[in-house]
Amino acid sequence: MQSSPNGVLLEARDLRKSFGGVHAVDGCSFAVPRGKISGLIGPNGSGKTTTFNLLTGLTHPDEGRVLYQGKDIGGLKPYEVFRRGITRTFQVTRIFREMTVLENMLSVIGLGVPDRIARERADELIDLVNLTRLRAEYGGRLSYGQQKLLEFARALMTRPDLILLDEPAAGVNRTLLQQLLAQIHHLKEQGTTVLIVEHDMNVIMNHCDWIFVMDHGATIAEGPPAAIQRDERVVEAYFGRRRATADHAVR
Amino acid sequence: MTGREHARNLAVLGLLALILIVLPHSLNVYLRSFAMFAMMYVVLALSWNIISGFTGYTSFGHVAFYGIGSYVCAILVVDHDWPWVPTLAVAAVVAGLIALTIGYPVLRLKGPYFAIAMLGMAEGTRVIVTVWDGLTHGGLGISFPSTENSMSTYYAMLVVMLVTIAVAYGVGHSRFGIRLNAIREDEGAAEALGINVTTYKLAAFALSAAFPAAAGGIQAYKVLYIDPSSVFFVQITIAMALMSMLGGKGTVVGPIVGAALLYTAQELTWVNFPTAHLIAYGLFIVLVARFMPRGLMGFAIDRGWVRKGMVH
Repeated sequence: MQSSPNGVLLEARDLRKSFGGVHAVDGCSFAVPRGKISGLIGPNGSGKTTTFNLLTGLTHPDEGRVLYQGKDIGGLKPYEVFRRGITRTFQVTRIFREMTVLENMLSVIGLGVPDRIARERADELIDLVNLTRLRAEYGGRLSYGQQKLLEFARALMTRPDLILLDEPAAGVNRTLLQQLLAQIHHLKEQGTTVLIVEHDMNVIMNHCDWIFVMDHGATIAEGPPAAIQRDERVVEAYFGRRRATADHAVR
Repeated sequence: MTGREHARNLAVLGLLALILIVLPHSLNVYLRSFAMFAMMYVVLALSWNIISGFTGYTSFGHVAFYGIGSYVCAILVVDHDWPWVPTLAVAAVVAGLIALTIGYPVLRLKGPYFAIAMLGMAEGTRVIVTVWDGLTHGGLGISFPSTENSMSTYYAMLVVMLVTIAVAYGVGHSRFGIRLNAIREDEGAAEALGINVTTYKLAAFALSAAFPAAAGGIQAYKVLYIDPSSVFFVQITIAMALMSMLGGKGTVVGPIVGAALLYTAQELTWVNFPTAHLIAYGLFIVLVARFMPRGLMGFAIDRGWVRKGMVH
C-alpha cells in the first residue's frame, strides 16, 4: 500500500465471504487513507455491498481481517462497530418510515447524551440538508432523494470518524446531488474519512482522492482517478476484453 | 413535546386520577367492578403496546404474564398467608424475570414466528400450571377466603393503571422509546446505527410483562377463584391486541381509549344481546380493520388532528 501505516484509518486484509457456493467477496484487500474521500467501484455483483457489510459487522468474514485504527473489528456486532466511530448509509435507503424526520435523527444518538444537545445536533443537521420544513413529517412521506439526504444526515449525528456511503447518488436529482457532494467535501475538511460505493463515474472521478476497483469479489486495482481511468484491468472488468486483443490472442 | 404540553398532560392525568378516586363511592358494586375491569384492560392494552406497538413484536401470548401474576398472588396469599398487596409487586418481578428468560431466545424470532412462539409459550405455561399440582393445586384451581373487596381491588387497580400510564407515557416520549420505534421500523438499520437491539427488546419485553402480572394478581383477588383455563385464556391476549389496534398501537393515548371503548362495548353487547354479542364484536373488528387500519389515533393523525411523532 502506498500510504504509511498511520495514514491508514481502515484496512481490509484478504477478506473472503461465501454465501452457499457463491464467493461474494474473494480476496479483497485495501487500505482507506485517513481524512480522504475514497471510492470503491466495480461492476454489478463484484462484491462492493458485501464488503461494506463486512466492514460494518452486518455479516462476518469467513476469512481475513478488518483493521480499524490497527485493531481487528471483523467479529464485532454492527452496534459495536458504530460505537467505534464508523457509520454507513444503505444502497436502498433504510430510513425509519413511520417515524418523523426528527425522530429518525434522534434514534441514532446514545441515551447518555443529554436531550437538549441531541436535539440541537439533530436540528443543525436537518437544516444542513434542507429538511427543516419537513422536520415533523414521516420519513416514509419524503421523496426518495430527500430520504437519501435524511439517511446521510442521520449517519452524521454522532460525528463519525469514518462514513461509508453506499451509492449516495442513485435516484437523487442533480440539485440534491450537488448539495450532497458539497456536504461530503465539507466533512472531509472537518477531518472525516469517507468511503463511497458509487456507479456514477462523474461522482467518483471528480470527487474521490483515491479509488479501489473490485471485480469478482477481489480488489484488482487502486490509484488516483486519472490513473484508474487509463487502467487496462479496470476497463476490462467493466467492458470485457477488447475485441482486437481477443482476436489477436486467437491468432 | 414542550415542557408546557407535558405539564398539561400531567394535569389531565391528575384530574382523571382525582375523578377515579372519588368515583367508586357513588357507584354500586356492579359498576365499581365494571370500572375496575375497564382499568385492568387499560393496563393490559398499554403494556402489550410497549412490546408490540412501540417495538413491533406482536405478542399473541401476553396472557401468560397475566396468568403468572394471578398464580403468584393466589399461591402466596392462600398457601403462605401473605397479605395480598405485596404479592402484586412479587408478581410483577416474577413476570419480568420470566420475560427476560424466555425473551432472550424468543425475541430473536420476527413477525409471525414471534407471534406463534408466544402463543405456544402461553399455552405451555397453562399446561405447566395445570400439571404442577404441588405448587399450583393443578386443575382444581385456587380459592381465596371470601371477603368484600370491591373497594380495595378498585383502588389497587387504579394505582397500577396510573403507574402503567406514567411508564408508557415516559417510554413513549423518550429517546428510549424512539429507539424501540427504530427497532420496529428496521431492526437491521437500528443495529447498524448503534442500538444494541437485544438489550432494548428485552427491556421493553420485561416492562410489558410486569404490569399485566400485577393486574392479574388483583383480578385473582377480586374474583376469589382462579384456575388455569380462566387466567390463561387466549381471548385476553386477543383483547389486549384489539384494544391497542382500535385505539392506535404505537401511541400512548390509543390503547387507553381503545381499552375503555372496547370493554364498554363488550359489556353493553354482552348485557343486551347475550347471544349476538360475539357477532357484534366481530363485526366491529372487521369495520375497524377496514376503515381505520391504524386505529383511532392513526385516523386522527392522518387528518392532522393529532401531531405526528412522539417527541415534537
